[in-house]
Amino acid sequence: MRKKKEKEVSVMDDVIGNFAGRPARVIIVAITMIAIIFPLYWLVTSSFKVKADYLANPPVIFPHRFTLESFRQVLQMNGLLNQFINSFIVAAVSTAISLVFGSMAAYSVARGRFHKTVRGAFGLWFMVQKMYPAIATAIPIYLVMRNLHLIDTRTALIIMNTSFNLPLVIWLMMGFFEQVPLEMEESAKIDGATFLQKFFKVVFPVTKPGLVAAGILAFIGAWNEFLFAVILSINKSKTLPVVIAGFITDRGLEWGPMAATSVITLIPVLILVLLAQKQFVQGLAMGAVKG
Amino acid sequence: MKAQNKANGAPKMKHRNETVWSWLFMLPTMIFLGVTALLPLLYSVYLSFFKYKINLPNAVPTFNGLGNYIKMFTDKTLAVSTGNTVLFAVISVALELVIGIIVAMVLCSDMLWAKICTTILLIPMIMAPVAIGTTWRMMLDGTTGIINYLLSFLGIPSINWLSNPKYAMPAVIFVNVWQLVPWVAIIGAAGLKALPADCFEAARIDGAKNSQIFAKIVLPMISPLLVIITMLRFVDAFKVFDTVYTMTNGGPGTATEMLPNYIYKQGLKFFDAGYTAALAVMFVLIMTVVTLIFLKLRKFVEEKVA
Repeated sequence: MRKKKEKEVSVMDDVIGNFAGRPARVIIVAITMIAIIFPLYWLVTSSFKVKADYLANPPVIFPHRFTLESFRQVLQMNGLLNQFINSFIVAAVSTAISLVFGSMAAYSVARGRFHKTVRGAFGLWFMVQKMYPAIATAIPIYLVMRNLHLIDTRTALIIMNTSFNLPLVIWLMMGFFEQVPLEMEESAKIDGATFLQKFFKVVFPVTKPGLVAAGILAFIGAWNEFLFAVILSINKSKTLPVVIAGFITDRGLEWGPMAATSVITLIPVLILVLLAQKQFVQGLAMGAVKG
Repeated sequence: MKAQNKANGAPKMKHRNETVWSWLFMLPTMIFLGVTALLPLLYSVYLSFFKYKINLPNAVPTFNGLGNYIKMFTDKTLAVSTGNTVLFAVISVALELVIGIIVAMVLCSDMLWAKICTTILLIPMIMAPVAIGTTWRMMLDGTTGIINYLLSFLGIPSINWLSNPKYAMPAVIFVNVWQLVPWVAIIGAAGLKALPADCFEAARIDGAKNSQIFAKIVLPMISPLLVIITMLRFVDAFKVFDTVYTMTNGGPGTATEMLPNYIYKQGLKFFDAGYTAALAVMFVLIMTVVTLIFLKLRKFVEEKVA
């Protein structure tokens, strides 16, 4: 059995991987990796460069002077820790809310007792919701938040990110719930399990990987969200992406501190994805297949 | 046996119970999305018939009829933005699709190197788009940028990528391709790995070349997935904002002005809420039409394959 599996893999590897021949494959992989890694190398080294080096012409490719000055500047002088906490609270809370509400709704659509039309209507609604442009509601949301005195609060950002993440979570979790064998639920039902018991005791435990996948995607989405963060925050509730963009519009050419802020922004989500790469990729694939 | 009797004993009650719980589970989401997405969208439709300058402290909306919609026809920047958006979406999605699938194919292996490469591919996907925009802005800088320096070794003279109207759009497209080829590659690789390997084995025994297997077996089999990838990418490309905002903010002039950025400016720079709302409504309509076309196309392809 194991041997057969290995053989299958090698056929795939050869037929698809070497579709243009082995040398071409090596070249394509090498170019792709350099193209991805070089900008990251540039970003990371820029964050450690001294000012003379990040503004040098010609640019310094292999710096031999390193400094933590840029990190010191953004963390101490600009108080980046506050914005880091803002980002974290907004992303974590909105992810938690959308996971709870979203998986409930997804289970309801996937396995609840609805008329066919109602089920279809909900499915369509959540799909349209995933596609429609966020900018379309920017002005009304801004006006309402202003009237509620929620501008420049984390609450406003948590609400909006939850709104963006809910359709995503629902859509992913629907896919995972539909994979749970119907017999499992049927037998639980025969044993007298109620709707709630089925959800918590039967379906929930087997869809935990799905929940992790949806959670990671939602967290990253909220962590990196920019449009509403820049519209709804002035100062107190600024998140990290708003700070990064600010280096362009406010000050310009402060590449070192900008790079340091970007590195600080990247590290938490990088750790998250490295820890749960399998679920992350599974979630991405599921999102596309369902989409 | 006893349990079965119990379940059969009150099926009506049980069904009603399930219906109630189904709606209760749906309720939080319905309320949340209703208040934060549907109502604002309706508010946009309402506002689109009014004149309303939101930067003035005591401004009240005054009825404007179809004025905001009529204004669109004489708005030259809007026409340019729309054209730019379509151009940007078509070219970047086409490039992402072709390059992304090629990358997915060469990474189709279970060896360690392929796994490491896949992990590296994830990084542009999880990086804040704003950070991607600023990083490339730094690298594309006309005087201190590394890209011009590297190109100088090929004898290419210094180019002001982001401040020259001729090069700004290609630069923005390039960055979008950098950002999203990994996404296409990862999804594509997942699709390729799910293909039945015995088909290839059989074709190979029949003496088919790799390129023939690709054209005759692989491509038709993954075509439904390609349609979905194209749809998701296309819809997403229409909404591009973060990288444009940080790289060029629509400039120089209107060279890279696109709909989301233009709508943003109308609303939060010129504070013209009525016109912004009308633009938003039009944008939603365009996106709906695009989505519907793709859904039809997807159905068509799926039926053809099946």
